[in-house]
Amino acid sequence: MVHALHEAQRVLQPDGILFDLRPAPVHRRVGIQSDQGYREIGAMREDLTDDYFANRAVKQVLREGLFKSEKFTQFNCNRVMGSLKEFSAWLLDFTTLGREHSSAHDWLLERVERAYHATPGKKKIIIHSPLVLRRLRNLAG
Amino acid sequence: MTLRIDPEKNEVRALKAMTHWRGKRVLEIGCGNGRLTRRLANLGAHVDAIDPDKKLIAAARKELPTRYSDRVRHKVGSALDLKYPKQTFDIVVFSWVL
Repeated sequence: MVHALHEAQRVLQPDGILFDLRPAPVHRRVGIQSDQGYREIGAMREDLTDDYFANRAVKQVLREGLFKSEKFTQFNCNRVMGSLKEFSAWLLDFTTLGREHSSAHDWLLERVERAYHATPGKKKIIIHSPLVLRRLRNLAG
Repeated sequence: MTLRIDPEKNEVRALKAMTHWRGKRVLEIGCGNGRLTRRLANLGAHVDAIDPDKKLIAAARKELPTRYSDRVRHKVGSALDLKYPKQTFDIVVFSWVL
């Protein structure tokens, strides 16, 4: 991660800007939105180790004096899915790419399936995932 | 209904609030299927978008509206070995990859 930041700094203009945009190191929350309102079903238990490594990498290049941290914001980013099939496929992709065992979120899938079938009318599955955005200024010139 | 990410466009709103994008030369690292690339192009940026996944780059090229074709270039590439000369870009965006 530190090497990637060094590469980014190399291709940046002096005084250029680097944006670090990624999910916040918090667990994603899953719920169902229907005519009756929003109902939270559960929070994922994803491994956040990579997020902590990324934070450490950013701190390191700041310490090295390559960049200056100028701004930071956190905001919500939703994923909206119209069916259980979409949610199941997303969850499988997510766990396959991550550090978790492929069955790590079976409990959540079962819980969402039950709630989905029990909810009448039009409904959507929503995953709430806060994002963080940092603006770093290139100090090398 | 297909999967929709950030239908409220909070992501691009936050990026827009942090700098001016029009006319800027931008490198997006980890462009995936080009969802954010298209939004950055819509802000007026000239975007080089890279991702290590060939299939995603092919999808991003396919999804790119022709109105952005003179402002967006997709390439298979890695954050660890950027194939660009020094000081090429005004802005670099790590897009969910760090």
